[in-house]
Amino acid sequence: MRRWDIFCAVVDNYGDIGTCWRLAQQLADEHDADVRLWVDNLDAFARLCPSVSPLFSRQRLESIEIRQWPSDFPVVEVADVVIEAFACELPATYIAAMTERSEAPVWINLEYLTAEDWVEDCHLLPSLQSRLPLKKYFFFPGFTSRTGGLLRERDLLARRAAFDASAEAEFWREVGLPRIDDELRISLFCYDNASVFELLECWSAGNTAIRVMAAPGAATDQIASWFRDALLPGAVLRRGSLTVNAMPFLPQSDYDKLLWACDLNFVRGEDSFVRAQWAQQPFVWQIYPQSENAHVVKLDSFLRRYLEKFSHADVVRALWHAWNGAGDVGAAWKEYIANWRPILEHGKLWASELDRAGNLANNLIRFVSEK
Amino acid sequence: MLASVAARHFRDRQADPLIRQSNWTSAMSVKIAGELQSGNVIIVDNVPVIVLKAQYNKSGRNAAVVKLRMKNLMTNRISESVVKADDKLEGVMLEKKECTYSYYAPPAHVFVDSEFNQYEIDAESIADLEKYLVADMTDVCEVTFYEGRPISVVLPKIIIREVEYTEPVVRGDTSGKITKTAVLKDTKHELQVTQFVEIGDKIEIDTETGEFRRRCT
Repeated sequence: MRRWDIFCAVVDNYGDIGTCWRLAQQLADEHDADVRLWVDNLDAFARLCPSVSPLFSRQRLESIEIRQWPSDFPVVEVADVVIEAFACELPATYIAAMTERSEAPVWINLEYLTAEDWVEDCHLLPSLQSRLPLKKYFFFPGFTSRTGGLLRERDLLARRAAFDASAEAEFWREVGLPRIDDELRISLFCYDNASVFELLECWSAGNTAIRVMAAPGAATDQIASWFRDALLPGAVLRRGSLTVNAMPFLPQSDYDKLLWACDLNFVRGEDSFVRAQWAQQPFVWQIYPQSENAHVVKLDSFLRRYLEKFSHADVVRALWHAWNGAGDVGAAWKEYIANWRPILEHGKLWASELDRAGNLANNLIRFVSEK
Repeated sequence: MLASVAARHFRDRQADPLIRQSNWTSAMSVKIAGELQSGNVIIVDNVPVIVLKAQYNKSGRNAAVVKLRMKNLMTNRISESVVKADDKLEGVMLEKKECTYSYYAPPAHVFVDSEFNQYEIDAESIADLEKYLVADMTDVCEVTFYEGRPISVVLPKIIIREVEYTEPVVRGDTSGKITKTAVLKDTKHELQVTQFVEIGDKIEIDTETGEFRRRCT
């Protein structure tokens, strides 16, 4: 059994640790790997996975060893495979230990997901280590067979398929919000976003009954500001055609069900972005904003792939652009909802195409076994 | 095996104080990966390699990375690699001379210095520059030597070339396109230029980015 060390520095929010935790679970559950996950922020991890305690610097969850990544890094045995997630800097003492290992570990920099073409040329290439007798490889998740693919549990598609109308009804009963005919249910998970207010205006003034399931944090904060009211988990606010339910922070497995059950999902960052695609429902992505609009190229690269074979591409693109700060979100929404039926079908078709890129954990295992 | 022999050879050369004083290698330097360009020589696994192509990529939250196509100067083996743009690499300062491009003599390009000495450089090593090379051009290039052998060329940052063909501007065009394709005279290289560039115009090109800068007046 190979031993794996995964290093995760939580830059902000939950995408970094969300992705690392999914990877750790898949390696352990589906590939019998012995995984140790180093995380520098256990508080963020505990919100995503309530079984994790921020109080213990060393704990075991399922078969995975979880370690607090301290600034004063301890002396530990180096694993066979070392993953530095999202180009985080490994501790110098750990790198020194890697160089002393009789057989050099397979060292991988797992990068952020992007749909840009250039990642195909860089995926799996070694990196230069001019001062170290080690090789590090760049591993790029992506949407084509020339990239690392996307994280997906072996049984995810089967679980999604089993989530039929009765399972969905059961889910809403558990949430305490049985389905109401002709009501559009939307999950909302976002960063600070100036377009939220205009969209809320549009939804409240529209003819369609809309229920927003708002994630705690930036989404509920901005909605509360718009309503000029408090919005704590469990609270409900109404204006016109719009009803907002403030959700508690959901563990990953429950969040998946919310994505499956909602008609439309607003997601952000990387982890929820990927899960929304596997959910096979229409979704709108708020990309992590960068200075000088560096994120726009990445957004448009994904849209180019996502909408390549879709006849109503302009409608989807307009809403995504507006949601990311470029355009009139109210006007874009009206066009979007007017073309709802084909957009709904497109979500299913896209998910079936995604699977051709292969599963990231499987691709990673295959690459490591060849080294 | 060959690589390790070459590496030992290079280390021995570096360790020899007499050789270190010779002019073929003057000093080591630190190179930031994001600043690498074709023609730079860096040390990889104790062996000098020349950068044939450096492609910078940055988007979203991804770390800026540079994809390098390199040639091992000991074995001539070509390899590819990726580095973070802020990685520090060991560079080598080598002898350099100002030369002008003369002509192509397959499989090499011939450059000439001010004393009319001719230097042949393997075309593959400077394939990235061929789109700008015109026989007897006057641009002053910087040729780098390794053990007396010319190994790379850096063109001036800005060069001027003539446009052989580009589509005329269509009056009233409302397509919103702000650039169009232009074909350079002699090399037939295509690049994007602004709409007002016309056939026969001379234009400035940035050789580091490959981008059009402006039309010459």
